[in-house]
Amino acid sequence: MLGLIVVVCLLGVWNRFGQTSSTSRVVFPYGSLSVTAPSALRGGDLWSAVFTVAATRNIRHAVLVLDSGWANGMAINTIEPSPVSETSRDRGRLAFTLGPIAAGHSFTLYMQFQVNPTTVTWRRPQDVQLDDGNVVLASVPRTVTVYP
Amino acid sequence: MDLVLRAVAMFVFLFVLTRIIGKRELGSLQPFDLLLLIILGDALQQGMTQDDYSITGAVLIVGTFASLQVLLSWMSFRFPRTRPILEGEPIIVIQNGEPIARNLRRERLTIDDLTEGARRQGIAHLADVHFAILETDGTLSFLQK
Repeated sequence: MLGLIVVVCLLGVWNRFGQTSSTSRVVFPYGSLSVTAPSALRGGDLWSAVFTVAATRNIRHAVLVLDSGWANGMAINTIEPSPVSETSRDRGRLAFTLGPIAAGHSFTLYMQFQVNPTTVTWRRPQDVQLDDGNVVLASVPRTVTVYP
Repeated sequence: MDLVLRAVAMFVFLFVLTRIIGKRELGSLQPFDLLLLIILGDALQQGMTQDDYSITGAVLIVGTFASLQVLLSWMSFRFPRTRPILEGEPIIVIQNGEPIARNLRRERLTIDDLTEGARRQGIAHLADVHFAILETDGTLSFLQK
């Protein structure tokens, strides 16, 4: 029994139950998109996500589209810098218009969240997509697990 | 990960704190000490869990504390030389009816404390005590002549 408790604690040290962030990055013809956020959380956790778009070619109308998993059961405390506009897309996705990003420049969006204490979920989709207008440029598949 | 590490840090801090505070304070909890203990617990909890309200978090913290406590008792059992550090040592405070001033000073014990402890064990005069020992848990043991 004690061994089981020790194993659970060691799993905690190895970030099995959150909340250390990891970075996912995709490279596409217009640049790269990286997302840094934890993939495991617990009720009440304060956490942050960083989205970075590095453009190698001009992106005229960058739009960051977040899966509903980013908002469901979470309190969104801060979005910096504020997007040009915010709207909703199909399946409850959030679309943040970032505006133009010139070749050789990058855009970093910071978001702060808190998990609602009653939220419990297992591998909820939390994909991130970057569009140029209506054209999909890149997508980062992610999931998040919130432990009770 | 950070939750377990914070629990380890707090455990080490508490362990060092109990070593510094001394046996006497641990052995006798006055009303003010009890209030301090409650406030201490609250402050420690905030430092460890912060905004975490989860069962998982509570399991990790309690599990870490239990594991470290078992580790300490195992070390004390397996390596007797570590006992004075891990558990402290009993200290003789009266020998042949004579209080040992140096040991009393070290543990911030007064003659009144000794006489009170003796009275609790049905001993009227310190002169009747062969040995009085301040045990590692802060209690006084008296051996009569």
